[in-house]
Formats: sequence, C-alpha cells, structure tokens
Amino acid sequence: MHYIDVKNLAFQYEEEPLLENISFRVNPGDFVMLTGENGAAKTTLLRNILGLLKPSKGSVQLSPKNLDAEKLVIGYVSQQVSAFNAGFPSTVLELVQSGRYQKGKWLKRLGQEDKEQVRRSLESVGMWEMRHKKIGELSGGQKQRISIARVFATDPDLFILDEPTTGMDVRSREEFYQLLKHNSEKHKKGILIVTHDHEEIRNYANKHIELVRKEDSPWRCFSMDSCKELSRQPS
Amino acid sequence: MEMFFHGFMQRAFQATFLISLIAPVLGLFLILRRQSLMADTLSHISLAGVALGLLVGVNPTFTNILVVVLVAVLLEYLRIIYRTYSELSIAILMSVGMALALVLMGLNDNGATLSINQFLFGSIVTISVEQVWVLLGLTSIIAILYFFFRKPMYVLTFDEDTAYTAGLPVKAMSILFNVLTGVTIAVIMPIVGALLVSAIIVLPAAISMRLSKSFNGVILIGIGIALIGMMTGLVASYELGTPPGASITLCLILIFAMTTVFKTLLRYMKIGKLSHKNGVS
Repeated sequence: MHYIDVKNLAFQYEEEPLLENISFRVNPGDFVMLTGENGAAKTTLLRNILGLLKPSKGSVQLSPKNLDAEKLVIGYVSQQVSAFNAGFPSTVLELVQSGRYQKGKWLKRLGQEDKEQVRRSLESVGMWEMRHKKIGELSGGQKQRISIARVFATDPDLFILDEPTTGMDVRSREEFYQLLKHNSEKHKKGILIVTHDHEEIRNYANKHIELVRKEDSPWRCFSMDSCKELSRQPS
Repeated sequence: MEMFFHGFMQRAFQATFLISLIAPVLGLFLILRRQSLMADTLSHISLAGVALGLLVGVNPTFTNILVVVLVAVLLEYLRIIYRTYSELSIAILMSVGMALALVLMGLNDNGATLSINQFLFGSIVTISVEQVWVLLGLTSIIAILYFFFRKPMYVLTFDEDTAYTAGLPVKAMSILFNVLTGVTIAVIMPIVGALLVSAIIVLPAAISMRLSKSFNGVILIGIGIALIGMMTGLVASYELGTPPGASITLCLILIFAMTTVFKTLLRYMKIGKLSHKNGVS
C-alpha cells in the first residue's frame, strides 16, 4: 500500500517548466525528507501532491484509505502558516481544537478523547500554558509550534509538512523530529517533510528525495536525480 | 415613546433587530476572507438590479436578488483568476455595477430617480410586512447554516489550503457564502441604503474583533454591538429625520471610537500598574 504514489510528474507554471520526471512513493511508516536548494520547486511539488495544483504530465495518487481501511486523514502544515493573519480572532486552544474537526467532528461536539488529544498535542510543543492567548499575539516560533500542535491534534495518517521547523530552536526541532519518528515507526504514519536541515533530520528519516537541477537544460527545469534509502541510525 | 405606536417603526425595529443578528456573522467572515469591500461591490451591483427591475416593470427585489446572486458567483470566479490581487475583482465589478445602474436609470424616464434615491439612502417608512418576513426567513437560514457549518467556515477562513487538504469543498463553500452575502445585501438595501449597507455589515464585527480573543466571542459581542448601534441609529433617524443607514453608521462609528479610547486607556492603566508593581518590588 502506498499513501503517496507519484509517477512521472511534470509541472509547468504558465510556459515555464518547473518540475519533470518526478516519481516516488511514500508508504505507511516512511519518514521521507524532501530537500533541494532555494527555488527548487519543493513547495510546488507538495501542492501538486495535495491537489492544490494540477500536474501538466504524470499522476499523483493519494491512497483513499489508511491501514485500517478508514478514510485517509492528511495533516498539512504550509510554509506560510507562521505568517497567518495577526488579527485572526482565535485563541491557541480554538485553533488546535480545529485540527480535530477533520476526524469526523465537523458536525459533532468534541468529546473527552478529542480534548485529551488537543492537550497532549499542545503539551508536546510546550504551548499548553499559552492556550488562552490570542494567536495574533504569538511570536513566529510560537505560531509555528501551534501549527505543529494542530497537526498532531488531527492525528493524521499522512503528515505533509513544508518547512515546519522555521523559527524553532535546535532542541525543539530535535524533539519534533523524535516525535515524528515515533509516529512513523510505532504508529505507521507516513511522513513527507520539506526541510533545509539535512544534517539534523537524516538521523530520523529513512528516505531522502532531493530535487536537483538538470545542467543540460536551457530552462529552469528540475528533476529528481536522487532518491536514497538512508540507513536508520540507532536511536 | 410615540414612535413605538407607529406601525412602520415597529416594522423598522423588527427589521433592525434581525439585521443585527446576521450582520456580525457575515461581517466577520468577510473581514477574515479579506473581502470587506465585496459587500460594497454587491451593493453597487444591487443598484443595477433595482434599476433593471424598475426599467422592465418587475418587482425590483426579485431582479435585485437575481443579479446579485449571479455576480456573487462571478466574484468567486474572478477571485480565483486574480488570486494575488483579489481586490481587482472587487474594483472591476463595482465599476460595472455603478455604470450599469446609471445607464439603466438613464433609459428609464418614468420617475425611477425617486425610487433609486430610496434605494441609495434607505428608508424606514417603506419597510413592508413582507420585507420583515423575508428578513426573518433569511436570518433563520443564516442562523441554521452558521450553527451547522461554523467549524468548516472557521477552517476555511483560517487557511484555504488547510481546508482543502482537510477535504472541505472550498469552492462550493465560497460561492455559497458569496451568494448568501449577496441575497442579504439585496434584502436589507432598501432599508439602510446601498451606499452604507456594507458599513453596517462590516462595522460590528470590526469593532468586536478588537474586544474578544476568541472566534465565538467576536460573534456574540458583535451581535451586542450591532443591536446597540442599530437601535440607537434607528431612534436617531426617527427623532432627527435623518436617513437610517447614515444614522446607524455614525452610531457604529461612535462605538468604534469609544471602544478604541477605552482600550487605549485600559492599556495605559495596565502599563502603569505593572511599572508601579515593579517599582514596589
């Protein structure tokens, strides 16, 4: 079973080819890091996977079901989320609770189990004490942490994270990667993370996808030349 | 007190009460989706709808609703085309609405100017029982939709990409929201006037956003502010013989100014208290 199956994906923005010949899979239990230099269209690739953009060639298939044959739940943290509207009238608690809605709670009240999950998620990023703060009053790093807490509150089958640790200190980053690794190994969650922290994250990830530019191409054309299986480091 | 014995004032109070319930809900979502000016655009378009009705001799409310609903759908389409400059769609359609209204009025020489004036500035004298019933129906629909869809709307307004990833029908929800806003404007425009209808929808939420930290808090406080501002404006309109839309808008602006001063004073008092505390310890 593959949570994500990308086959020969190509994408062009207006007339400009950005991605070509991209193929990879993310399976349950995979912890995949996606790297590439600035402007390597990493976010564009994620947006193609999520269906926010349409590939010009090839295909992206997201598994409709998880390992328990239930509807696949995706947790997404976008790159811009830390820049969210400072005036958005919401407390930290309200925002993180909204992560539970997609677990079949759009029209139902949140139960005790949901509230527990929200508390655990906020505690895991050290933001429980700040739960009654307005989100607009938080610093960039704190906003990033509550975005992560929101995703953990969702408890998704597949995490798609676009540079989620921007603005976080080294210790918080390591704790976060540890938590992701625990989720992939113990709970068979699929993880696809765009990152610049190659060295830090390679101790936790088991696959590495790197977007590199074709030298012989006259345009800004990127293709995936390496997809290395990383050996797991002993934890 | 005599004003409460007039049938038209009773209907005006009923209508104003209902508008106070729906304005903060729509206003908050409009502000958060950065579409505050959309209400203004739709009111200009509304004017074209009214002018069309008067020209062809059909009840202007029906042509108004029809035109506004069409444009509300078109607005969403233009918002997607000009994603980066979404205010462009508003600017384009606002000009189209005004130009169309003026041309249609020009084609009509059967005293349409008088009726148009009434729609431009609003009138409490002309509120009919039917209008109150239509407003009650609309308020009920918005209340039911808000009760059931407040969670999806919260996520949609927070971040559309997150909403899409969570499996929400983002486009359908956006169109439905635009249509509801359009219909609301078409229904309340004859009461408060096309020129100020957007201010009346947006101001209560804009004020309450500064007073509450939570989403539901903003809606509840917004309803309170809308009730105070609109009722006071209505009484002022009756007593002074001023247009209702303008009187209500000025009352809401006064509340906005008062809350700003109050918040600033509160902040200074807090800072003073803190520095006093630090000085003591």
